[in-house]
This record gives sequence, C-alpha cells and structure tokens, in this order.
Amino acid sequence: MGNLEPNSPLKERISLALNNEFLRNAVKFTTERLRKGKQTATDELGNWEEWRSYGQAIRMHTIAHLDYYLSQFVNNVRAAGGFVHFASTAREAVEIAMKIMEAKQAKSVVKSKSMVSEEVHINQALEEKGIEVVETDLGEYIIQLAGETPSHIIIPAIHKNKKQIAELLSQVAGEPLPADTAILAGFVRSKLREKFLSADIGITGCNFAIAESGSIVLFSNEGNARMVSTLPKTQITMMGMERIIPTWEDLEVMATLLPRAATGQKLTVYMSAITGPKRSEDGDGPEELHIIIIDNGRSNQLGDPEFQEVLNCIRCGACLNACPVYRHVGGHAYGWVYSGPIGAVLTPVLQAEKEKWGEVANASSLCGACYEACPVKIPLHDMLVYLRRRNVEQGTTKKREQWGMKVFQKVASSHKRYRLAIKAGRIGQKFVARKGEIKAKIGPLKKWTAHRTAPALAPRSFREMWQDLQQQQTQIELDPTIQKRMEEMLKKRGDQHESEQK
Amino acid sequence: MNPNRSEEILKELERKAKEKEETFFQHIANRLGRPRLHTPPIQPVRGVPSFWRQYHLDFEERISLFMANWENLGGVAKRFGCKEDLVTFIRNEAETMQAKKLIRWQHPVLEQLEIEKTLPKADVTIWKESNREQLLQKAAEADIGIVVADYAIAHTGTVVVLSGATKGRSVSLLPTALMAIIRTEDVKTKMGEVLAVIQKRNGPSMPAGIHFITGPSRSSDIENDLTIGVHGPGIVYALLLDE
Ligand code: SF4
Repeated sequence: MGNLEPNSPLKERISLALNNEFLRNAVKFTTERLRKGKQTATDELGNWEEWRSYGQAIRMHTIAHLDYYLSQFVNNVRAAGGFVHFASTAREAVEIAMKIMEAKQAKSVVKSKSMVSEEVHINQALEEKGIEVVETDLGEYIIQLAGETPSHIIIPAIHKNKKQIAELLSQVAGEPLPADTAILAGFVRSKLREKFLSADIGITGCNFAIAESGSIVLFSNEGNARMVSTLPKTQITMMGMERIIPTWEDLEVMATLLPRAATGQKLTVYMSAITGPKRSEDGDGPEELHIIIIDNGRSNQLGDPEFQEVLNCIRCGACLNACPVYRHVGGHAYGWVYSGPIGAVLTPVLQAEKEKWGEVANASSLCGACYEACPVKIPLHDMLVYLRRRNVEQGTTKKREQWGMKVFQKVASSHKRYRLAIKAGRIGQKFVARKGEIKAKIGPLKKWTAHRTAPALAPRSFREMWQDLQQQQTQIELDPTIQKRMEEMLKKRGDQHESEQK
Repeated sequence: MNPNRSEEILKELERKAKEKEETFFQHIANRLGRPRLHTPPIQPVRGVPSFWRQYHLDFEERISLFMANWENLGGVAKRFGCKEDLVTFIRNEAETMQAKKLIRWQHPVLEQLEIEKTLPKADVTIWKESNREQLLQKAAEADIGIVVADYAIAHTGTVVVLSGATKGRSVSLLPTALMAIIRTEDVKTKMGEVLAVIQKRNGPSMPAGIHFITGPSRSSDIENDLTIGVHGPGIVYALLLDE
C-alpha cells in the first residue's frame, strides 16, 4: 500500500516549504480567508455548537453501525440499477477500476476532485495503460499539468502563483497566455469542455452516500463534478467506506456543516444527489454507474476507542485552516494526500508501514484549534497525542525522539505540571522545538523541486523559524473544554502507560 | 473487443463483488466487536436540531430572502406577476445578449410561454426523448438554457432541479447562461422541506439526478481570485412567476 516513499529528510522538506515565500504567503492568505468565511457563515447561521453536536452524533452513530448502513446502501444502489464493488486495499480498488476500463475499452477519463482516488493512485495506473486521465477541477488540473500533488483539501493549487499557472497553461495552448485569471480560467473551460464531451468514463469521489436510497452526493463549486456525472456514458464513483449517512434528513445537517466549515458558503454552488444510472428514457447521465467502496486501512480504526472518530471526518479542511503549523508550512510538508491535522492523524493510521509515517503526528502544536474548528468535533489533538505515544511504544521513533517523548510524557503525566504547561500554551512546541525540526515527511518532493525556481537554502535554521511560530502560537488560547478533556485523558493515559511499562 | 467479452468482464466483477460483500461487512462487524447487524438500528439523532425544524418563513419572506440570497451570489433575481411579462423579459435579455442558440426543457410552463415564437431568429432546441449525442451537442453550444425549477430554497438561495426524460441535466449545466423559472409557490424556507417533498413524491426510488444550484459556477483556485463560469453557467437568472 502507498507506493509513495517519505523519501526526503524532514528538515529538507520543511526548509523547502519555509523557503518558498509565495507559498507561505499564499497559504496564510488563503487559510485566513477561509477561516474568516467560516466564522461569518457560522455566526450568521447561529447555534453552530448545536449543529456541530448533531453532526457529530450522526457520524458517530453511522460509524458504530457501519455494516448495517453500508449493506443497506449497497442494496439500494443495486435496486436503482447501479453496480457495487468492494476493495479492501488501494490496489484492489485500482484493479477493479482497470477491469471496468477494459470492459468499456476506455481511452479517456475525466475526473472530478476526489481525495480517495488520490489515495489509491488511480491516475498512475491509467497512464501506464495509455489511458488519458484529466483532472477537471481548475486547481487540480493546474497541479496535474505541473506534475504535483494537492497542497490543500479545498484549494489544491494554493501554492501556485498566477505567473506559474500562465506558464503551464501556455504550454497546453501552444501560445503565450497572459497572467490574467479570467483569461486563464476561460482557456481551461474551453479546453476541458472538449474533454468532458469526449471522455469514455467519468470518475468522481463521493462526499456522502445515503443508505436509505443508495444515492451518492457530490459538492462542487465549479460544476465539474456535475459534468463528470452527466456527460460520460460510464461513471465510476470511488468512495471511502465511511462516507455513509443513514437518511436524507441527515443530509440536511451535513449540507449545513460542510460548505460553511470549508469555505464559508451557505451551500456550495452545486450539490448533486445521484441515484443509480440514468433512467432509460433520460437523455443524459451515465448509462452505467459503478461504485467502488474502499476500505484501505479504514477498518483498522473501527473498534479502536482512540481513533474510531477519525472516520467521522467530512473532509472540509477547516482544521487545516485553523492549524498554526499548517498555516506556516503548507500541505506538502505532510507528505501524503491528506495534510494538516487530519492528515497528521489519517496518514499514519491509513498507511500500513506505520514506522515510515508515524512521525507526521509530531507536526502539530496540540493547541486544540483543530478540534475547535472541526464541524463534527473530532478530537484531533487527542489523537495526535495517542499517536505520539504509540510511536514511542512501538519503538518506531528514533532514540533521540524517544527521549523527547519521555520528557513530554513526564510533563503530561503530571497533571499539575501539564496544566501549567498548557496554560503557557507551549507544551507541544517545546517538545518539537527541542528536536529542532518538525517531524513530517515529504513524499512528492522530487516533482516539487523539479518545478520550483531556484531552491536556495534557508538562510535561517528551522529552529529559528520555529521560534517565530511559537510566538504566534502562544496567541491562540486553548478552549477550556479541550483543556479539561486533555487533562483527563492524559491523566488516564499517563497512569496506564506507566503501569504498562512496569 | 467483442461485446461478449465486455459482458464477461462485468459479470466476473459482479460475481467477485457478491462473493466479497459479506466478508467485507463481517470484517466491519468484527472490528466493531459485535455480531453482524441485520436490523435497523435506532438513531438517537436523526436530521436537524428541533429549533431548525420549527424555522418557517412566511410566503413573502421566503420570496424576498430567496431573491436577496440569489443576488448576493451574483445572480439576477426578478419576479413577475404574469407570463407575458416573463416572456418579454426573457426575449429582451436574449436579444441583449445576442443569444443565437437556446435550449429548454419540454415542460408544461415552458410550453405555454412559447419563447421560440418571440425569438423567431434564434435556434431553440427542446429537450425531449431523442438522440443523446445530438441533445448534448445542442446543450453544449447553447448560449442560454431554460429550465423550470422543481423547488427553490430561500435560506440558501438555491434552485432545485430533478432529472427526467424531458428535463435534461445538461440544460442547467452546459449553456453560458441559465434561466431558471420558479413558481413562487415552490419556494420553501429550508432544504429539509424540499428533501421531504422529494422523498414523499418519489417514494423509495429517487430521480437519477437531483441538482441543487446555488448561484453561478465559481472558482477561487487561481491566487484566490474569484472567477465565475468555470465549468457551469456564469450568468444565472432566477425568474419567479406568481401565477
Ligand atoms: S477533521 Fe474535522 S475539520 Fe478536519 S477535515 Fe475532517 S471534518 Fe474537517
């Protein structure tokens, strides 16, 4: 699983991220914009905390009864005339998709944004077979041209500036295009029109899957998800097996939370519910609909009290925008498709080779901002602590870091000292800063460096950068409920851990 | 490849899926540490909070909130007391935009409006059961697509369209401009009401495509600059009709 190798030293990767002035500014600017948008939208809606609790309750219940709801979903998809496939691993998912390609003799594929398809690396498999695959989300299209990977769940090309984009698109156009947003977007529109109309297969992701009717629900702003699910004759939808919600009533809760948390919109421009292939009398829509339900490490989280809740995630990106570390280093620092706090948790738990990825958990400050931002109240910061602990227990952390972890635990296990440390708002930072580097990996580094201009070395050490960051972070106050939860959890864990060691 | 081979591959995939299915579900149950569930669990929380269920706006409030939201999104919202005024507006807009090609649903309301008669020079395609490729081609070339919304949602400024034989999805998607005619009685306060009616009217089997449209197609993917009309229509009209 996961043929990405965390192939460059963290330090290198971080200095790369910190070095790229534009990236840093863009990430800061964008996350700030999204955060403010969310704030305005949730204020305007009112009762945000209650909505969050409802979202959390619905997601928790669904995951706890996932076998029931998933099988209900599957039966209803079939009743509506769709095909369902099951993939335990990324490789199986790709094999199934490739079989469908073969059956349809597909030569071209259009894709709308889907994290899970990034996760299984379907593009690579398609390209190897000589099948043209085109990402159709504007940002995804840009980074596909650049041969890169997304750096933000919602705004994947956050790290590219207009000039770089104009250069990429000029190559496609065969003539120079000006660095003008409207012109560039217009060019992409007409270019992709041809692709949509001629593609044999459309691949979509799935934001929610409604058990009671076998419908999949897609959210998009550009309209590409609609194109992909309307024009090609065959549609393949890849969905993580946890995307389920029980009923249409529950969709209203998710549709209230997701767009507001992601971009501050009341609703995304398009929300499409697709139930089965087109009816025989319909003039458009896919004639054949295949839904591939993907586990790929998710089931490992089930029944694990510390991590089950990570499956509640609705992939809104709010925790990225809230995270001081993400805002400082951007998405590529996390080294896999999922970045930010959710990436730091999801990456090691979904990847089989934990020892390679577990360190990503250290790239966080445990300030609790991610939990506060999360529309379904996932205790990401707790999970990051568990992960750090596990890394130490499993001996996957290097000696030097074990020492760091011990120091951390010593502080953490003493309730009073921990509280003091939290009050100072620095426990996480201290721990990380002591090591002088953030523990995260960069997977797609090669591709990234290849397209960067003049990758000069950071004149300042990461330690210095980190100190700046630390100062910024102390301005973030810890939510009292989080503080309490953390204290309780750490007290319990700390004791347990000590007795385990004895 | 002969069609039989293609059939074979799909059959084989189906067989594998059926074979794998129960193991897949059982594995989930095992991980959850309990036997496989076959009876519907009781949902402690289902749908929206109760204060939200009680949220209802008056007819006039709904209309004005919907229109305000739609305009905030960058759309044009107009209200008409009679069909004649609506037709005149559509004709004027089409002429101002110099629209040469239009496409519309074959819908009772649109049949009555007879827009094609007021625009004799324009090429107006009517979406009804016929050749797929041809319809798609027409929709892709169209300057304006005209649909009749099944519902609208005041709270979010959303138009809801259901797919069907005479109600192509492409008509609200491919043309440069979209005109959605909304009968004012179809404007609801919030999404939940619309979802409930759709479910009630369609029973267990939903239409293949239910599309919620909230303003013009947009993207901020290039340096956070807002761009309109990236894939879907960039110009969107909500035309409310009172009769
Ligand atoms: S963890 Fe929460 S905030 Fe982060 S992406 Fe998932 S749902 Fe959004």
